[in-house]
Amino acid sequence: MYLVAMAAGFLLILMGLYGALTHRNILRMIVGFTLADSGVHLVLVAVGYLPGRTAPILDSAVPLDEAAQRIIDPVPQALVLTAIVIGLGITALMLAYAYRLFRTRKSLDIAEFTELKW
Amino acid sequence: MTSRFTLRNVAVLTLLALLGVAFWTLGSGYTPDAELNRTAAYYAQNTASEIGAQNVVTAIIVTYRGLDTLGEVTVLFLTAAIVALVLGQTKAPRGSSGSGFLPSGELLTTGTQMLLPIILLFGAYVFVNGHLTPGGGFQGGAILASGMLLLLLAEPGRRFGHRIISRVESLSGLTYVFIGVLGIALAGGFLDNRILPLGAFGSILSAGAIPLIYALIGLKVGAEFSSILESLEETEDA
Amino acid sequence: MVSAIYIIATGLGAGFLIGLLKDDRKGDAFFLAVAALAAMAWISVSWTLALTAGVAEPQQIITAGVQPPFAINLRMGLAEAGLLSVITLTGLVSAFYLRPALMQLGRRAAAVLVILVMALSGLVLTRDVFNLFVFFELIVIATGGLVLLSNDKRAVAAGFKYLVVSQVISVLLLIGIIFTYHAQGSLNIDDIPAQPMAFTGAGLALFLVLIALVVELKPFPANGWALDIYEAAHPGFSALFSAASATTALYAADKLFAVAGPDWLPLATGLGLISFLGSNILALAQRSDRRLLGYSSVGQIGLVLVVLGQRDILGDAYLYVAGGILITHAIAKAGLFWLSGLVTGRDLADWAVLRANPVLVLAFASFVAMLLGLPPFAGFYAKWDLAHTLVAADRLPVLVLVLIGALIEAGYLFRWFGMAMKRKSAVAFPGFALDKVTAVIIAMVAGWGLGYIWGAAGAHPNLMLATPLAFALLFLVLEPLPAWAKNLLAIAGLLGWVALRYPDYDPLQLVFALVMLAGGAVILLASFHVRGRRLGFYPPAMLMYAGLAMLIDAQTSFQFFAAWEILTLGSYFLILRGQDSEPHALSYILFSLGGAFAILAGFALAAMGIQPFALVNLAAIAEAGLAIAPWVFVLLAVGFMTKTAAIGLHIWLPGAHAEAETDVSPMVSGILLKAGLFGLWLLLIYMGRQTLWGVDLTHVLVWIGALSAFLGAVLAIFQEDAKRLLAYSSISQMGYALFGLALMNHLGWLLALMFVINHFVYKSMLFLAVGGVKERTHTKLMYKMGGLITLMPFTFISVLVGIIAMSGVPPLSGFGGRWVFYNAIMASDLRLPMVLIFITGPIGFLYLFRLIHTIFLGQLKDEHRKLREAPFWIVLPQMLFVAFLIAFAVLPGMMLRRVDAYIATITGDQALTWSGRVITSEFGYWNPIAIAAVIGAIFVLVLALLLAINHNATRVKQFNIVFSAERPYKPQTTHFAWNFFAPYRKALGFLESPVVTTFWGALTDSLHASADFARRIYTGNGQTYALQVVAFVVAVYLIAMGGVS
Repeated sequence: MYLVAMAAGFLLILMGLYGALTHRNILRMIVGFTLADSGVHLVLVAVGYLPGRTAPILDSAVPLDEAAQRIIDPVPQALVLTAIVIGLGITALMLAYAYRLFRTRKSLDIAEFTELKW
Repeated sequence: MTSRFTLRNVAVLTLLALLGVAFWTLGSGYTPDAELNRTAAYYAQNTASEIGAQNVVTAIIVTYRGLDTLGEVTVLFLTAAIVALVLGQTKAPRGSSGSGFLPSGELLTTGTQMLLPIILLFGAYVFVNGHLTPGGGFQGGAILASGMLLLLLAEPGRRFGHRIISRVESLSGLTYVFIGVLGIALAGGFLDNRILPLGAFGSILSAGAIPLIYALIGLKVGAEFSSILESLEETEDA
Repeated sequence: MVSAIYIIATGLGAGFLIGLLKDDRKGDAFFLAVAALAAMAWISVSWTLALTAGVAEPQQIITAGVQPPFAINLRMGLAEAGLLSVITLTGLVSAFYLRPALMQLGRRAAAVLVILVMALSGLVLTRDVFNLFVFFELIVIATGGLVLLSNDKRAVAAGFKYLVVSQVISVLLLIGIIFTYHAQGSLNIDDIPAQPMAFTGAGLALFLVLIALVVELKPFPANGWALDIYEAAHPGFSALFSAASATTALYAADKLFAVAGPDWLPLATGLGLISFLGSNILALAQRSDRRLLGYSSVGQIGLVLVVLGQRDILGDAYLYVAGGILITHAIAKAGLFWLSGLVTGRDLADWAVLRANPVLVLAFASFVAMLLGLPPFAGFYAKWDLAHTLVAADRLPVLVLVLIGALIEAGYLFRWFGMAMKRKSAVAFPGFALDKVTAVIIAMVAGWGLGYIWGAAGAHPNLMLATPLAFALLFLVLEPLPAWAKNLLAIAGLLGWVALRYPDYDPLQLVFALVMLAGGAVILLASFHVRGRRLGFYPPAMLMYAGLAMLIDAQTSFQFFAAWEILTLGSYFLILRGQDSEPHALSYILFSLGGAFAILAGFALAAMGIQPFALVNLAAIAEAGLAIAPWVFVLLAVGFMTKTAAIGLHIWLPGAHAEAETDVSPMVSGILLKAGLFGLWLLLIYMGRQTLWGVDLTHVLVWIGALSAFLGAVLAIFQEDAKRLLAYSSISQMGYALFGLALMNHLGWLLALMFVINHFVYKSMLFLAVGGVKERTHTKLMYKMGGLITLMPFTFISVLVGIIAMSGVPPLSGFGGRWVFYNAIMASDLRLPMVLIFITGPIGFLYLFRLIHTIFLGQLKDEHRKLREAPFWIVLPQMLFVAFLIAFAVLPGMMLRRVDAYIATITGDQALTWSGRVITSEFGYWNPIAIAAVIGAIFVLVLALLLAINHNATRVKQFNIVFSAERPYKPQTTHFAWNFFAPYRKALGFLESPVVTTFWGALTDSLHASADFARRIYTGNGQTYALQVVAFVVAVYLIAMGGVS
């Protein structure tokens, strides 16, 4: 189970990066990175998974003294939330930039914004 | 865009294949733990007594790794501020056609009026119960903001109180930092939730300052998302 | 002490508070931001002070009231406190600097700035690897926002490229972090155990984390995105980006490398070296100032990464070395970016506007010196310790590469400085905003202060407390005074120092002190002829003299090297003052620094990590017959020979000496060259003969000396420019001295010593004379002069006496030199170079004859009819020299005798016998008085004869000759002085072909060409940059993996 998630995650990362590195359209690049981000999140969660255990919520289903034997690793779950929020922030920022770039040149081709070089 | 199989694509493929090898090595060498590792085990055993939250993930997010979360909230604050900066400098020329001036239709308007209170209530529910059930400030905040999105869709021409949104955003942030500092003064350190009594395990008023913090986060996240949405909407570009 | 957590709380609180303000209350927002930054800076600085003073202990800060690793913890130690001080103070000053831009962009920008500084501080403080990631992303986002402060339209694209690459980095970082967590069961950095370098499991995870952090350092060549930011962003922000962000990122990498264990350090070293060298080479082709600074930043961070890679051998010195380089760089780079905001043009040459304000020029010079690790700045101590540690740990190749990189960096930085000093400003003087100037001055003062602190903190003597240097620096403060007052003080200072130190000098030191310092005072007399304030003359001149004074006094290798660099730096600024001296000053400083690096490597090799290393210990190394001994000898000798301009390393000299100002030429020729001789002297005294691959190295030196003497003389005879002629003559004369020294016998050394004195006297005199002529005729070309004998009689006399002395004709002191010289070579068994030296004698006479003939004899030019004698103050020292030469000719024993006795204590033999006025050697005797009497008699006799037959002569008016009707195309070609020695040129011209110049020229040209070609990898396409980052990571992965398996 975790292997499927992890493999899917890695695959998503590679697909996302491929998209981001080959499409010249800025919006498509952003989509590529979003895809890669999702892949990262999937890998993150997969790492915390322990077979046969339940969610880390200590309600009636999980007696307190057995908690350590019953729940999966809660840490990656906490990390992934942070990662998601940060990814979202950066994506929003990139979109805003994309808009700004589009306004300056009426183009979304990354290859057109090369005044700074060498 | 026609996708051609260029030299660049080949180079990218090769590089990513090599990167894939690295990932493959990581993945194939991975064996899940049989037992929780010491950090996770500590959380499983001590969350109830130390933090008093049923939801261990929440305990980690808000308290154990509270500094991360404060940073996370700040990321959103920054994003909101910068998106406003980025877009604020490029107002679309006046009179350009934009969705902002098209009527949105009866269905959407009425639906919004019906749904909005429920959405807001649900959002509040999610973040207030963050320490007990799945969910929390971020999720709740996002739900709040989705209500906002609905409103924007329904009444594109309308301007919402920028002031109120940014007040909510900043005040909740400020209070959050203040609570964190209180942790140093009254409890064991920055962002310690034990400045309030832990209360009865499993009840709504438990886990010390967590419900308060999560409420603040919920408000803040909701406000920030709304602010970003508004900034994007105000570009008035089709 | 206020807990460091309040730095974060204050930053965040202020950020959110600014969000509460109304949109139009920008002033309040700015005020809040500044107040918060000031509070953060105060906390950081107070910690730094307390930790340095030892009144506080490093603090572990826990959050959430739970011990790590179960909650995030922070640490405040000395390193953290120091870096936080740099970050917050840079933030504070930059905030003021950015004020107009912040006001324009609104209150949000102020909030973003405060949060950026907060995030940078958090990154330094945190001990949790995921928390590290969070702060990194905060920095990325804040950077993305603040790029918009720029008026440059291209900044938006730069910001986007930056975000694109950051996405790639964050993917790698997160994957690395989560697998590290899986392997260690903890996110705390201190829980990561040292790992062998491996590419499976925990090792691979760690690799991903490390490489992501390295990419954050913008390593060459995966750094186009960062360069664009440097170039396009507001300079106030670029300062922050370079000084604070880069510094912080480096510290983050340092934390991880520290726990990863020694296995990973070569990775840091390798990547650092590539970055340092690659970035510096590419910078050579750069013409845009801010982009150049970007390249330089990348290079310097690479250098610190190299230092990071040496933490296993640096031990306790690690913080001192890494901190010295890192903080000096931060200060200098912030200062330079702030300076760039004062310059309106973006070309390097546009920095010429800075000349409108001397303080800014000083700041610019200080920043350049800081970046290059020159004394007395903190980087100097760090460079010294680094070199010694590297050599002691047998990592010589790393040192060599570092020094090459540093030399290239010196190349473009000093070229830039030269442009700023010499080029015409293409842009109009904009007037300088006071707040920006203040920021620059703060950085400068901080850099000097840091130099003081590093000097006080280290094991070495604090250079800033050395009296000569302090005295030289005093002249910076005295600049507003008139030139004559400063000159008076300078002369008094030099003489006073000699008087003070006189009792402690041994005879050798005394000779050099008299020549360099007392002689310097005499030359300074000529400086009285300059009116006004003469800004920028006295500080460098006194810096040079300070270096010389310290050189003579040096007991340890550190003192010697510091003095060497100080005098090099001072003389560079002095030479740069000349009219067309820009390229020559540059080649001077490059050769000198190259030589200095050779000396550094030589000393490091000799010391083998033991500090302080007394110079006399060189003898112990030679005696022990260690395998390194000849290498030490070679490195030191090469270093010293760059200063004496031995042939092959000489190309800087003619231009530098010829283009210098009238009173500077004698200083850099008569005095400065002796520093090299002094070094060679010590080297030969201590180390004696060394053999490498069966070759006696002193024989090599003899050959170099003979060739320098010969070729220098040959080149001198073909010069049209009088000062160039004298300059080439110096190469020749130094060749003689080197030859004499390397003979390794008593007389040879005595000969060299006589050359030290004689060359100083007559070369100073001749340079002053020719300089005086130039003051009047406004040309240095000899074919444009002629017949000046009647108009400038005193100058004529000094040239006459000078060339008599120099050509070694009796009765003047030059003959004494020759006499000792012939005795010396008779005593040696090296015949072939001896022949060369013999031939050089007459050649020397040719160029000297030309000098006096073409300037003073022949026909007076029409436009020179109304010339007057050279200014009094220029003539005065010449007359003093004339008097001295005559006295020295008659009474050579005054000085030589003591020195002779001293040399005898070293060589253990007595080659000369002094009885009364007569000096006897193995091969003959020399009675100066008798010779003077004989020559005098002959002279009087011939003169009388000439006067007696003079009545037959016919006086000819100047234009009493017939010109043909044709006006020649190049009038000078008809002048007899043009191409004066054409027949000799036919015979010896092949020796004149500029082989050496071509060699060095081809070297620099090919470097430039490859730089210009290679920098095209920065296509400007953000996607390509991201691709380069991926390629970089993959390449490092493959190479490192190949290295492991």
